[in-house]
Parts: sequence; structure tokens; C-alpha cells
Amino acid sequence: MAVAQLKKTRGAGTVVFAAVKSHANLSLVPAQPVSEPLDNESRTWLRELRSVGATHDAAVARLHLLLLRAARFEVARRRPTLPHLRGNELDDIALEAANDALVSVLAKLEDFRGASRFTTWVYKFALLEAAVKLRKRAWQGREVPIEPESWSLFETGGPGPAQEVFQQELLGAVQDGITRLTPHQRHVLVALALNGVPIDVLAERLESTRGALYKSLHDARRALRTYLEEQGFDASTWFEDGR
Amino acid sequence: MRRPDLKQSLGRLLGPLESEVGCDECFDQLDGYVELELAGGDTEAVYPGLRPHLEGCPACREEHESLRALVGGEQAL
Repeated sequence: MAVAQLKKTRGAGTVVFAAVKSHANLSLVPAQPVSEPLDNESRTWLRELRSVGATHDAAVARLHLLLLRAARFEVARRRPTLPHLRGNELDDIALEAANDALVSVLAKLEDFRGASRFTTWVYKFALLEAAVKLRKRAWQGREVPIEPESWSLFETGGPGPAQEVFQQELLGAVQDGITRLTPHQRHVLVALALNGVPIDVLAERLESTRGALYKSLHDARRALRTYLEEQGFDASTWFEDGR
Repeated sequence: MRRPDLKQSLGRLLGPLESEVGCDECFDQLDGYVELELAGGDTEAVYPGLRPHLEGCPACREEHESLRALVGGEQAL
């Protein structure tokens, strides 16, 4: 996978960068960082979770409490957007998220490289599980729109008639470009970027994954940008008034 | 009801113009990114492509904001 390697100093340790073919663009992304020197707390977590018997069980119980705290944090942040959910339903979602995160963390324990403190590393598993469950819950029973519904609702218009005309032409080219995408790309782009469907909800409906759908979204966006450039809309004008 | 702004809508449709990592790479790197960000470090140099991804992916962006708020809140205590 690695095409080229660069070295970049980060703190006391070293990160090896590998140029990889990511999506259709060549992206420079950090390869798995070389193990960082662990802080004492992270070392203790790992030692106790890798042990057996009472020490292990106690560490797992503490880890679960930590994950539950993070999951409840996420639920509390999203609560205002979920007025139809009762408190006990939200508590259940937080507990389920913590349980699932615990399984993930224990399964991936050996992947922890010390790029952060251990607690920060585990928090992201609980936040992800809680966020995904809440997005799915919010869309439960709702139809996922995959066709454009709201072109006419777009706010166009600038300081003068020329700007208005430019924006209408750009919008027309965007609509035309979308019709030229593959059906899958079009559905993914429209659902995610136009109709605001959460990516995890669409992934569940299409029996796909977040990563796979984002790649489709990335490819669709790139094809659409290429089409606009071919139509004479330079990238520097996309977000301008067209003056 | 206010109509969606064209620029914002185009931004969501056209996505980030810079190279970006994918969702899986974003998740792998998010904890280190957040700690470095909170410490005022050079996230662009250490995690190239991650910021553009956060701009282009609402789900990853929300999870980044949550992790940053959670860890940042702990550090403030």
C-alpha cells in the first residue's frame, strides 16, 4: 500500500506518513503511528485489561463506567433534537452504546498505539455508538428521500440581475451534473448532501457502511465538480456571487 | 421558513476541495487529533486530510465536536 514514506516529528515520537491511494484522490494520510511512549495511566489501563482474574474484571467494570459516562454525554448533547424520546429510552440507548463500545474496545485493545491518552481513545468508541444509535432512532419509520426535493427552495439572488442570472446558471449546471452521475452516486449525493439524511441511516437502509457510502459521496462530488469545470464554472466562482 | 442558502447548499453538494481521508481513517486518528488540537499543536501537519474530511462529513464532524467537548471539559476541571 505504501508508495512513499516521509518522516515527521510529532512530540517525543515519530509518525511515519505513507502516501496511499485513498478514494479516487491521492491523499497523504498518516500510516499507523509508531507506538508512542505511554503515560502512566494508559499503561495501567492496558496492564490491568490484559491481566486475568479479579484485576481484569475490575478494570473492565471501570472501563464500562467510563464508556457509559461518554455515551450519556453524547445523549445529553443530542437530547434537544430528540424531544419525542423519553428519559428512560435515552438511558437505554446510552447503556446499549456503552455495552457495544466495551465489546469494540476490548476487541481492538492491541490497536491502541498511544497517539492519545487511553481514556480519549476509548471515549470515541462510546460517542460513535451513541451517535449512530441516536441518528437511527431519530429516523426510525421515516422514508429516506433519495431524489431532489427542494431545488426551488434554494435561496438565489445577489446584489443585481447579473448575479441572479449567474446563480441560476450555476444551479442549473449542478442539477444537470447530478443527472449525469451513476444512479448509486446520485442517490447517495442527494440523500446525504441535499436532503440531510444521516450517513449511518442511509448505510443501514442500503446495507452498506459509512466508509463505503462516503467513498461514493466523494466520487459523486468529484464527478460533479469536474462537470461544472467542463461547463466553464471555475472552482473559484462556485461559492462567489458571480461578479 | 427561511430558504436554504445557495452557497451553503453548494458547499454540501460539492464537498471539500482539498484531499481528505475517509471515515475509517478519520475514526482511527480522531483521538490523537483532538488531543493535539486542544494542546494547540499543528494538526494540519500531523494529520493531513483530516480537517477537510470533518468539513465534508457531518457525522464525523459531530463526533469530533463531541470528543473535543468531552475531553476539553475534563481538561478544564
